[in-house]
Amino acid sequence: MTIKTYTKTTLLFGLVALSIGGFFLHLRIHPIAKNPANIVPVVSGVLGIVIVPLLFSSRRLISYGYVINGMQAIIGTVLMAHYSIAHWPAPATPAAMILQTLLADILVLWGKFFLGKALFDLEFHGYDQTREMKGKTYRYPNYGWWLIHLATISLVYCLGHILWR
Amino acid sequence: MNQFRLFTPYWWILHVVAVVFFFWLGHIVHF
Repeated sequence: MTIKTYTKTTLLFGLVALSIGGFFLHLRIHPIAKNPANIVPVVSGVLGIVIVPLLFSSRRLISYGYVINGMQAIIGTVLMAHYSIAHWPAPATPAAMILQTLLADILVLWGKFFLGKALFDLEFHGYDQTREMKGKTYRYPNYGWWLIHLATISLVYCLGHILWR
Repeated sequence: MNQFRLFTPYWWILHVVAVVFFFWLGHIVHF
């Protein structure tokens, strides 16, 4: 086994472990039996556990895995942030804002994003330790591109929520 | 990576669908 395959496998295990963890958390918090709309996190979970790791395993399809994994992190962040705002703790002390919102869940979700980023970057930039990072920050597949998408998706979601009632 | 070039027909279709989807998502979700 090469170091590349070994590291890739380790990262894929991390990705699957986090996805399974998230899937079980969702099942515990909102079971499908209670509300049919809860099928959404279940489908998203299956996507994260099965489809995304398969896409990441293929060099030809890795871009799709990378984009889907990141978009899942963004969608999860937007929805959980919305939920946290709708159920804002009272009184809103700093401790309550950290511990009684979904901030912890959002941070765990971003762990999954960074694992995907590492898998993607290792595939494309290789394992050369001296190689410089190139490219514009705001273009795909760099962090700026993700920030732009996080901001834009949040904005469109907010507009949909506020304008179309 | 042709599919991720800017302002191609693929790019426009993807982005129009995405904007409509996220606008609709904001509309249907009520916590």
